Amino acid sequence: MQIPNVDPSPKLLLQLKGIVKAFAGVQALKGVDFDLRAGEVHALMGENGAGKSTLMKILFGVQPPDSGTIEIDGHGKVAIDDPRHALALGVGLVSQEPSLVPQLDVAQNIFLGQTDALNVVKRAEFQAKAREILKPLAPRLSVTTRVSTLGMAELQVVEIARTLARGANIIGFDEPTSSLTPAERDGLFTLIRQLKNSGKGIIYISHRIPEVYAISDRVTVLRDGQVVANRATRDVDPDELINLIAGRRLAEELHRPIKPSARPGRTEALRLEGISAVGKLHDINLTVHTGEIFGLAGLVGSGRTELVRCIFGADRKDAGTIYVNGKPLNVQSSSDAIAAGIALIPEDRRKQSLVPVMDVERNFGLANYRQYAPSGFLRLKQRRKDIERYIEEMSIRPRRAGVRIRNLSGGNQQKVVIARWLQSGARIFLFDEPTRGIDVGAKFEIHELMRRLAKDGCALLVISSELPEVLALCDRIGIMRGGRLVNTFDDCSELNEDLLMKYASGEVALV
Amino acid sequence: MTSEPLPPSAAPVETPIKAQKKGAQLELVRRASVLVGVALLFIFFSVLTKSFYQPANLLDILLQSSINTMIAVGMTLVVMTRGIDLSVGSVVGLSSMIAASFLQGNMLLGTMAGMLIGVICGLVNGVLIAKLKLPDFIVTLGMLSIYRGLALIYTDGKPIYGIDPTFRAIFAGEVAGIPTPVLLALAIAFLAFLLVRYTALGEQIIAVGGNEEAARLSGINIDRVKICVYASSGLLASLAGFVLIARVGAAEPIGGTGFELQAIGAAVIGGASLFGGEGNPMGSLIGALTLGAMQNGLTLLNVPSFWQLVATGVVVILAVFADQATRRRQ
Repeated sequence: MQIPNVDPSPKLLLQLKGIVKAFAGVQALKGVDFDLRAGEVHALMGENGAGKSTLMKILFGVQPPDSGTIEIDGHGKVAIDDPRHALALGVGLVSQEPSLVPQLDVAQNIFLGQTDALNVVKRAEFQAKAREILKPLAPRLSVTTRVSTLGMAELQVVEIARTLARGANIIGFDEPTSSLTPAERDGLFTLIRQLKNSGKGIIYISHRIPEVYAISDRVTVLRDGQVVANRATRDVDPDELINLIAGRRLAEELHRPIKPSARPGRTEALRLEGISAVGKLHDINLTVHTGEIFGLAGLVGSGRTELVRCIFGADRKDAGTIYVNGKPLNVQSSSDAIAAGIALIPEDRRKQSLVPVMDVERNFGLANYRQYAPSGFLRLKQRRKDIERYIEEMSIRPRRAGVRIRNLSGGNQQKVVIARWLQSGARIFLFDEPTRGIDVGAKFEIHELMRRLAKDGCALLVISSELPEVLALCDRIGIMRGGRLVNTFDDCSELNEDLLMKYASGEVALV
Repeated sequence: MTSEPLPPSAAPVETPIKAQKKGAQLELVRRASVLVGVALLFIFFSVLTKSFYQPANLLDILLQSSINTMIAVGMTLVVMTRGIDLSVGSVVGLSSMIAASFLQGNMLLGTMAGMLIGVICGLVNGVLIAKLKLPDFIVTLGMLSIYRGLALIYTDGKPIYGIDPTFRAIFAGEVAGIPTPVLLALAIAFLAFLLVRYTALGEQIIAVGGNEEAARLSGINIDRVKICVYASSGLLASLAGFVLIARVGAAEPIGGTGFELQAIGAAVIGGASLFGGEGNPMGSLIGALTLGAMQNGLTLLNVPSFWQLVATGVVVILAVFADQATRRRQ
């Protein structure tokens, strides 16, 4: 292996050597070496299934390795029994899924497990400490806010703060920005840099290549359970990195400038007039045409999710009219929206799209009982035939309709959800963060699918916090801020990430 | 699809395989532990008593378990939606009193009246839970008291004697040497199995219990599904009540007291998860037989019935513990 050319920082905090792990005879890790220096951000990349989560589980004590050694500065060679033991050794993980106690406030959550945190007398002290930790990350977040009232992004922030509060020396971040806005992400990066400067070691797991360039000093790429690269980040160019991750030339496809294939026909598919919901949405007017991908950009909490939920009948609107194909539609519940050919692909797959205990086939059929059970009895053969066709066409893996959906990767789960709505005959698709937490290769496939839907004459309304995604995918872009649609761009050729961000955050006055 | 599939890799997605394997293992452990438990129970009682394994006694266990099986099937459906029905015992009492009072005039009328009351009780539970969004636990606990109270009010606490002989022959007779309650319980469990496996409602029950929000956003009418399972639970409780009064030959307003625990126990032993989304009506048959065999064996060993209550509670809590322990980790 090539010796990475990084700033001299001789102290090794962590050294993993020859880590091997197999599941059911399949080798997930085939002798992986990984190390981490003090004052370094070391990015760990790889597609889902490359072995990075297995490696992290071993490091954070969730699973033992089959063989190989873990050496931690100050402790020598160790066998990590469980996550608690890992923490005691100074190894902490900021996980993807916040695990907080909703009934407690922010400060209490940050110091959860330290019994004094619940002590009324000491509360002020803990709140002060919590405030200090949160300052660079989310200065406006009050430490006495109950966690149940926080949004996804703020939850993540608290989760990060909690790990920091435990004084870990080696901190893993597993896709920490997947629910953060760019502004919050910048806050996080500032914080990570502070941690780095104070001599801590950071392991940064992400699918997002620009982030890895923004924050990391070194990058290790795993593929098929092996290290395929361990290099200084600045010595690898992005195309090469994508190539290393995916093992094929995806780079060109991803960076290909995308122009609307043909100027979409101007047939109106979905029109909103004066949609309002008290405290959430104010007088939203917009039109999405057939064959068009309309992007909604904006910060978390700007009302984008609320808007699509209103259209879909998942939440109530207080005023305004929804027109589908020119006719007003009275949406009382989601089933009204579905009957009118509208589909919602929500932001949180696990909580809002999938029934984890059910298999792929049943999850696929969830919105299609009208077709598959018109009399109440299921047409199992027909349904099986249909899902198998989608599995082939969309390359859903594994190829079995009977496998429980929770055992699929995020990308494959999302394909099943899309298949569900394709089968329902939907013509208007509301996508809320369609590629969150999905790896590079699958992301590309989902994008292709979305483009194909548009080409087939469907209307797509797409929410994404990843501005490059919005810019690459959408024919028109609307910007939401504070529950209002503040701007709509019919021509996106002049737009760039910076500009979008400025509009979304209100730095640029309304045009 | 224009895009080609992901490149074949030597190691497929690792987390799924692990999760799948672990999930399957836990599921296997749970199922095996039920079967091992039942086997141990049978061996234990067969060694300690001479009469336990005699065919006549085994048939007796089947007969004794049939009432609980019927209620447990309904409970399983409720539990699969992540709900609970604590009112079933009182529904047994109320519907059997109503049935008995009308039976004296007309067999059909009595049967219909009893079933109607069972369904109405279930509908009330379901509507309060689904439409008013009240917690299932509190609603059915309150209803446990209300239905029992109504049963007592109905005859001022007095039992009704003299159940119609035809009715008794139907609900506590024999066909080809097999008691009709056993046949009825088997038929109910099988029908419920078919419901879960082959109908839209059955899958929607799993979907509501497995992820209510996802089910709602897929256009499933959550309220309707919930009301259906509570109504089924009420209906099956009334049928269980018929068997009870047919066997006893009288209807008592306190009939069915404590049946809810037995039914929850049978459902959970049979594989229903209190986390919702999982359960098998045929499994609740096994669950009811397990509890029935235990109570029968303890009786043969001359263990006082008060201690049997203790044993039942322990077994039910153990079953719920096993459920939590195996599912939570998934």
